[in-house]
Amino acid sequence: MALLALLLTATTSGCAGALDTPRSRGNVLTYGIDQQPDCLDPQVSPLDVTALVDRNLFDSLVEMAPDGHFRPWLAERWSVSADGRTYTFRVRDGVTFHDGTPFTAHAVKATLDHAVDPRTKSQYAASLISSYRSSRVVDASTVVVRLSRPDSAFLQALSTAYLGIQSPTSLRENTGNLCTEPVGSGPFRLTGWARNRSLEMERNPDYRWAPPGARHSGPAHLDGLVVQFITEGTARFGALATGQVDAIGNVPPAKIGALKASGQLRHLRAESPGVPNTVFLNTRSGPLADERVRKALLRSVDLDQLVDTLYFGRYSRAWGALTPTTPYYSASVEGRAPYDPDEAARLLDAAGWTGRDSRGIRVKDGRPLALRWPYIQEVHGKMSALAQGMQAQAKQVGIDLRWTSVDAGAFIQKTDSGRGLEMFSASFVRAEPDILRYWFGSRMTIANGGGNVFHLDDPVLDRALADGAAASDPQARAAAYARAQQRLVDRALALPTYVPVSLVGTSDRVHGLRFEPNAYPLFYDVRLGDPR
Amino acid sequence: MTDRLPVPIGSRGEGPAMTAAKSETAVQDAATGARERTGAVSPDRRAPSRGGTRPAARRAVPRLPGAGTVIASLVLAVVAVAAVWPELLALRAPDQVDPVHALQGPDGAHPFGTDQLGRDVFSRVVHGARLTITLGLGSVVVAVVAGTLLGLLAVAGGRVLDEVVMRVTDVLMAFPGLLLALLVVAVLGPGTTNAMIAIGAASAPGFARLVRGQALVVRESGYVQAAVVLGLPRFSVFLRHVVPNSLPPVLVFATVHTGSAIIAGSSLSFLGLGPQAPAPEWGAMLSEGRDYVDLSWGLGVFPGLAVTATVVAINVVGTRLRRRFEGRTTHGEH
Amino acid sequence: MTTASPVRWLARRLLLAVLVVFGSATAAFLAMELTPGDPVRTLLGTTPQTAEATERIRHDLGFDRPLLVRYGLFLGRLVTGDLGTSYQLQEPVRSLVTGQLWSTVTLALAAFTLALAGALVLAVLTAGGRRLPRRIAGFFDLLTISAPAFWIGVLLLTVFSFRLRLFPAAGGTGLSGLVLPAVTLALSMVGTLSQVLREAMERSLEEPFALSAKARGTGLLGLRLRHALRHGLIPLVTLSGWTLGALLSGAVVIETVFSRPGLGRVLATAITSRDLPVVTGVVVVSAAAFALITVAVDALYRIIDPRLREVGT
Repeated sequence: MALLALLLTATTSGCAGALDTPRSRGNVLTYGIDQQPDCLDPQVSPLDVTALVDRNLFDSLVEMAPDGHFRPWLAERWSVSADGRTYTFRVRDGVTFHDGTPFTAHAVKATLDHAVDPRTKSQYAASLISSYRSSRVVDASTVVVRLSRPDSAFLQALSTAYLGIQSPTSLRENTGNLCTEPVGSGPFRLTGWARNRSLEMERNPDYRWAPPGARHSGPAHLDGLVVQFITEGTARFGALATGQVDAIGNVPPAKIGALKASGQLRHLRAESPGVPNTVFLNTRSGPLADERVRKALLRSVDLDQLVDTLYFGRYSRAWGALTPTTPYYSASVEGRAPYDPDEAARLLDAAGWTGRDSRGIRVKDGRPLALRWPYIQEVHGKMSALAQGMQAQAKQVGIDLRWTSVDAGAFIQKTDSGRGLEMFSASFVRAEPDILRYWFGSRMTIANGGGNVFHLDDPVLDRALADGAAASDPQARAAAYARAQQRLVDRALALPTYVPVSLVGTSDRVHGLRFEPNAYPLFYDVRLGDPR
Repeated sequence: MTDRLPVPIGSRGEGPAMTAAKSETAVQDAATGARERTGAVSPDRRAPSRGGTRPAARRAVPRLPGAGTVIASLVLAVVAVAAVWPELLALRAPDQVDPVHALQGPDGAHPFGTDQLGRDVFSRVVHGARLTITLGLGSVVVAVVAGTLLGLLAVAGGRVLDEVVMRVTDVLMAFPGLLLALLVVAVLGPGTTNAMIAIGAASAPGFARLVRGQALVVRESGYVQAAVVLGLPRFSVFLRHVVPNSLPPVLVFATVHTGSAIIAGSSLSFLGLGPQAPAPEWGAMLSEGRDYVDLSWGLGVFPGLAVTATVVAINVVGTRLRRRFEGRTTHGEH
Repeated sequence: MTTASPVRWLARRLLLAVLVVFGSATAAFLAMELTPGDPVRTLLGTTPQTAEATERIRHDLGFDRPLLVRYGLFLGRLVTGDLGTSYQLQEPVRSLVTGQLWSTVTLALAAFTLALAGALVLAVLTAGGRRLPRRIAGFFDLLTISAPAFWIGVLLLTVFSFRLRLFPAAGGTGLSGLVLPAVTLALSMVGTLSQVLREAMERSLEEPFALSAKARGTGLLGLRLRHALRHGLIPLVTLSGWTLGALLSGAVVIETVFSRPGLGRVLATAITSRDLPVVTGVVVVSAAAFALITVAVDALYRIIDPRLREVGT
């Protein structure tokens, strides 16, 4: 009986759906994206899509300008103590959250405490402010934040959507539902979230506290914003081409040609800051513990050619452990490990990998030169073609790259222990060079909540990274981070592949779309107009 | 994905599918359900719904002409050569990349065009034959072996064991095959061997019921009863008469089933759960290539064509085998 | 087994259906338990975590309790209709399933209708008729049976979506978004249905009543429509189990090809991410639907074909 009732409702809703036409959307922008959020509590989720969605729902204390400086947003002004460990924020008046709660210094304290509360199970925000010790509310508009160490990346952390300020009322009373019912003060508020399908937001009519970087003030131009989840790149592009959505993220590079040819579509491009798509190398055990083998590996793959072909000239290859749009990027690393199979062969000979097996793979002491490179289909599947290209080229010099799909559980088991693998791939968006410490700092092992899977312990690198984090003078920071980036290349501690690009495709009705410093699109200034 | 048997749960022979028993060509699965049932009842009981007026001989007239069978056999021969000795047909190595010549349409140098890495699609399709065929045949072997053991166990093990085995197969068969295979892959992880086991395990219950039904018929037949009456040990009668005589229909059904097993294997690969990159398994190739079909149409056409041609050929030849076999048994019964 | 009373028959079948649902739930639970790897770490995704945080989540989710206790709790909740909460999406599985169900059911109903209509047309036009049309139809059947659904999907998508731009490439809303997935799913089934239907119709055309009608001068098409079709539909009913299975399995592949939301895709994603409550939820719901529909069809069948009640087994 129940089943029959379900079948009936299903058919009727199916018919109702058929009446929807793309043109009835009005002044609402529909954005197609490949990922869907796991949890909209900004302090919980580490996903890119959470930052993209939450930027519309939450405001931050400060805004990062394109040149890397910080400007007031919910914080009117702030001061830093001489030892770099105390930040005093004076917060803005007249801001209200979507639930009517007024924004005060208490909200700042509640949000930061929520981020580091073990019960929050933060997967990212807590690590962004790992230097955070405590907050003290002096009065309704003043909050003093204490850090355990000087942290030049602290303001950048506060500027991200992951530290968007939540309503203290919601944090207190809505504990179980923060993931699904986020309450911020942003230009949009959440009105619906159908899993696997879409997420809907409507304009916050009271919004009057846009950051200085915005092109207008007051409420958003759009009446609403719908984020549709379309996993497949081809399907997502098709949805844009047929007008089902107004804009899409992650346009498949293969479709840029078709997009341009259509005449009615446009695309915007921004290189992501942070760590490029990088193959992290096991420097502790196995063949890659030998620096010569690492250098040979870097020289065995023609990334210029592969990246250009596979991403249709839209992506560039990466040379260093930071992308060019990251603050304090050092161009001195470019061209340092070019494709050179002869040199690779020489290095491998010198390292004693002189034998060959029946497949042409080099052998030393009876063991083949095999590098295990596990991956998760859902996470790394999109770079499978690149990996296969690298695999085929590395084979030419006698290296066997074992690019193998494993389930997430097995993958995490390996990366947790740092055993059973020689390589793994990751990229990480953050407009702040301190991200290098997360991946390469000797103390940032998995057990300590970092990403240093292979327990890399390089004192020279550690010192450069610590200097960069402690310094407040831009020149001192630049010098320290240049040293760090060069060290990574000198010792071939990682194999950077390509610079991730935020490729957004839009119809010609969409005006005013631009990117924030982390290369996520911003919708506050967007206007839907006539085709131009 | 048609590797599930149309047997309503728990209806050992009480269901009505006998009418579908003689469906022609390649209704592989429909045919199994029916055969399983016809097998489960003794020949004389089967008579009423068979319809006395139906001339069995005429049923056996093949729909496809001899030419079809000849073409199908040729296709299978080519696939077999590709699977056994791909170097004979392929133009180059399946993983040889050539980024400069990526995504080129079919031409003289690349009959099926090139993929996103500049690999030769024709050579990859040729080399893929071994993977796809191994996956399909391997899963049939798994299903036949597991199903036969289970079916014989049910017959030989007494009432309680029989009931247990039948209830377990009820539960398993109440579930669509691909979903069952997905569950098994979830436990074992992706890969060629695991996908093979998964598909085999998902179709094993059907084989178990078929074997059980056959074995019951054989056990009730005159000569086996006679052997028992003569005082031969039951176990030896079982091994020497029941087992061998239960197997021929199983092998015939296995042939017919191979086609759907290949489709199931390719589907798992398409979902990323079969042979891993850069293995040129046909389903995996289609999954990888479908984002580029508007740039190089060969990527979306040839791997699928290869699966389809192979399965058509297997179905044509399998149906022919089955019809010959059925003709023989029908003749023998009367 | 002689003929039982209808009530006892039905009781037995329903008991069996319950057993099937229970068995499927147990199988799904065990499958996930047997999967190697630490489920808690899997749930946390690829972002590294401290051991302390991991242990806290393990405790919160009850993964530190013994297997039997977890199984007991699982069954207890199941009986009350509580399918648990998705680890990945932090949402009750019941609302997740009901939210996705309509999309798959719409697809399945549309595809089934198309496949049935196609099979009826093919069979009525060709059953017992001339050689050439029969052969063409037979070849069409063979082709659709032998072509994998994902290939048909990719081909249709390429031609009708990317080349001709007639249908959207993605999106579950609206009729236009339903056409290509439904046609793909229908094509993967129409061959089997049409074959079975034609076989049955041809058999009935040889029955004495058909022969005598023919002798009275009834045309072949009329004969097929008036007499043979009714007989042909009966074996089709017995294919209901196969049909349901093909629809559900097909949904997994087709929802992936067309990026269409639905139960099949939810299940595929949940399996790769080891979202146990979602997997068990989808498994139990589809097993229940399966079992109930099969019982209903068998009951229906006993009503329309009284011979079965006499014969029994």
